[in-house]
Amino acid sequence: MKCEFCHKADAETAILLETDGEVKELFVCRNCAAAAEGAANKADGAHSASDPVGPPLPLMGMILDAAFEIVGRAMSMSDLTCPSCRITRNEYRKRSRLGCPACYEAFAKELDAAIFDLHRAQQHVGKAPQQAQADMRRRTIEEALSEAVRNQHFEEAIELRDRLRKLDAEKDGEKGQTA
Amino acid sequence: MISDVDHSVAEKRNRNVREDDIAMSCRVRLARNLAGERFPDWATEADRGRVFAAVSDALRVERPQVRVALIDGFDEQERDVLCESHLISKDLLGRPTGGGVAFESDKAYCVMINEEDHLRIQGFTHGLDMQKAWRTADELDTALEKHLKFAWSPQLGYLTACPSNVGTGLRAGAMLHLMGLRLLGEIEPVIRGLERMRLLVRGVCGEGSEAAGQIYQISNMDTLGTDESFIVSRIQRICAEVVRQEHNARVRLIRESPLVLVDCLARSLSVLQNARLLSTSEALEFLSAIRLGAALKLCTRLSVSDVDDMILVMQPGHLQKWHGVTMTSEERDEQRAFLLRGQMNGIRLKCGAVKAGR
Repeated sequence: MKCEFCHKADAETAILLETDGEVKELFVCRNCAAAAEGAANKADGAHSASDPVGPPLPLMGMILDAAFEIVGRAMSMSDLTCPSCRITRNEYRKRSRLGCPACYEAFAKELDAAIFDLHRAQQHVGKAPQQAQADMRRRTIEEALSEAVRNQHFEEAIELRDRLRKLDAEKDGEKGQTA
Repeated sequence: MISDVDHSVAEKRNRNVREDDIAMSCRVRLARNLAGERFPDWATEADRGRVFAAVSDALRVERPQVRVALIDGFDEQERDVLCESHLISKDLLGRPTGGGVAFESDKAYCVMINEEDHLRIQGFTHGLDMQKAWRTADELDTALEKHLKFAWSPQLGYLTACPSNVGTGLRAGAMLHLMGLRLLGEIEPVIRGLERMRLLVRGVCGEGSEAAGQIYQISNMDTLGTDESFIVSRIQRICAEVVRQEHNARVRLIRESPLVLVDCLARSLSVLQNARLLSTSEALEFLSAIRLGAALKLCTRLSVSDVDDMILVMQPGHLQKWHGVTMTSEERDEQRAFLLRGQMNGIRLKCGAVKAGR
């Protein structure tokens, strides 16, 4: 496929172009993508001027860029802003720093590839906050309870329900102590 | 003649080198962020203030002896002292309002607030007792989580501002003095080997810094996919192996290149005893050689910890704090040279004793 901008070189990446209030996705060559990004950077130059952090780490930038290039071709471009902190994909690419914890979900498609490149792993193993551990235990029991009810294993279901009640009682007890 | 050094005596001296003489200290840090809050790079002043207040409150409840303060509350010299003592990073000093630090008088731990992440919980120990540093950081983390809700996901673990820290958020590292490997010209293969094992090898001042004085920080690169105990044990095991290699290099240095060793010590001592101007990096290079001499017990009246104290107090922040004035760069160089001349006064090399086998 030829670049939709210059119609000469092969298209290698996808960019978003806003014209007359309408956002279009274009597949373009490397040079045109760089030119478009340069123009976008100029447009939000005021924000960059107050950047307290400076340029991103070269390795991180390369890894993120590689992930964007691969994923950017195929992905829908409608989810470019984190709904929680309103940071755009372009902004966090520039600094190699995410805006808030919710960014991990908002930019999951690209980040999954970058995280795998960085760590050669995709699943956390190790410590979890006490509350998260309790939530996971509860979820496991709830799933087992649904399964038991579906299969009409009522004795097991009663036992699981009692365990859930016990967990609730423990939680209430802790709340009482904290208060 | 140096080549007449009695090897058996010199090697016996090296056998007495303690692990702590090579492994200067270690540190385990945990990166944590509060759920629902913007990461510090994108946070407003009000956001950072809220995070600082929440973390301070939690720390004061869990560690009543803690001193929590905003970085803005320290004068320039005090900030440099904190940085030179490796309690806080240079990055924290360059950040806008809301950055803070918390530690106790024994400095076994330190929490940086609103650095790259909301919290950087750090445990420190001397030598290579990385498990102890990990326990310190882990216990404080567990205590704080009673009051603070950390951003965490079942898939990615602790969520951090930079994806390179996601997962455990743990960086375990040791500061190693590898002067023997350097003098034998064997440091590069060791560093390449460590990097092939996906370890970070950096200078004494952290990210992007040169290994001034042949002091290297070795730490894990991966934070996701393996648990904390595994990471800490692995780094400790690998660092212990590097310490063994440095030890071995020192034995070979004495046996095979005593002239190189003693020439290096003699030159360094001469400069430190006579120079009138010394920059920090110059002084560190020469003190590093003297540190090796002290570890091998080749310097009279000088222990490794004496040299470590000199390495600390000759740095710009400590030097100015000691004198109670702000100095220009040249004034500092002059005062540094004066300080070290005094410290090195009367110190001699004991090569003769080695030679005579005493």
